[in-house]
Amino acid sequence: MDARMKPYWSPYAAGVGLGLTLLVTYVLMGFGLGASGAFTHVAAHLEGALSPARAQSNSYIAGYLEAGRVWAQWVVIEVVGVVVGGFLGAWSPGRLQWRLEKGARIGWGRRLLFAFVGGATVGFASRVAQGCTSGLALSGGAVLSPGAWAFTLAFMGGGFVTAWIVRRAWR
Amino acid sequence: MIWPINLEGLPGLLAGLGVGVAFGFFLERGGIGDPKKLVGLFYLEDFTMLKVMFAAIATAAAGIGALSALGLMDLGAVAVQTTYIWPQAVGGLILGAGFALGGY
Repeated sequence: MDARMKPYWSPYAAGVGLGLTLLVTYVLMGFGLGASGAFTHVAAHLEGALSPARAQSNSYIAGYLEAGRVWAQWVVIEVVGVVVGGFLGAWSPGRLQWRLEKGARIGWGRRLLFAFVGGATVGFASRVAQGCTSGLALSGGAVLSPGAWAFTLAFMGGGFVTAWIVRRAWR
Repeated sequence: MIWPINLEGLPGLLAGLGVGVAFGFFLERGGIGDPKKLVGLFYLEDFTMLKVMFAAIATAAAGIGALSALGLMDLGAVAVQTTYIWPQAVGGLILGAGFALGGY
């Protein structure tokens, strides 16, 4: 972050705003916020378009296709909102710019490769756990789901170990 | 008990768009859009992710509890993530690894 940008909010203030958003979501919808589900809907529909027979033979994928059009899925629309909200949040403090965040000791190519492999790993893991840091750790944490808290603790364990192995990427 | 409202159809989608915008806005304002801040937790150098997440969880949990105590919210009608302990523990471990590798 360079000097022209305004600093981030206090993490506690942002957290309270986020918590109130989550509370409103539970009041309006009866369920919480999510993220990985949107990618699953999109991936299922991509497979449905490219290889319909294969998609229909997989009951997990077929279930997502039976839910209907991608743009009629709540979590897909919510994630579109997240992109818009993130853009708006970065806009007025002057944080909008093209840049790739990385440590000083890693090249662009390797950083992007790590991002791709890391993203694929997160996507895979979110299906194993049936949720991600939004749908499971945050939303499940707030309604005291035991599995969500197990997930959160394991998430930190996996993060600490891997971050040490790839420390040249960040520090 | 009048809540949750359980919106469906177009009103539900519009609500999803609205809470999504707020979600993204507060995440960005808290610094959660910056992978160097996120992985900072794993080097014990930047605890932003922990502070934002736990402040959010505490706020929402306290709010849901208060609304229930006031008789406004039916906890039985709120979707609670089903616990599958091993898939969630193993999935969390793998997700944490991918997160530290990719930065999100």
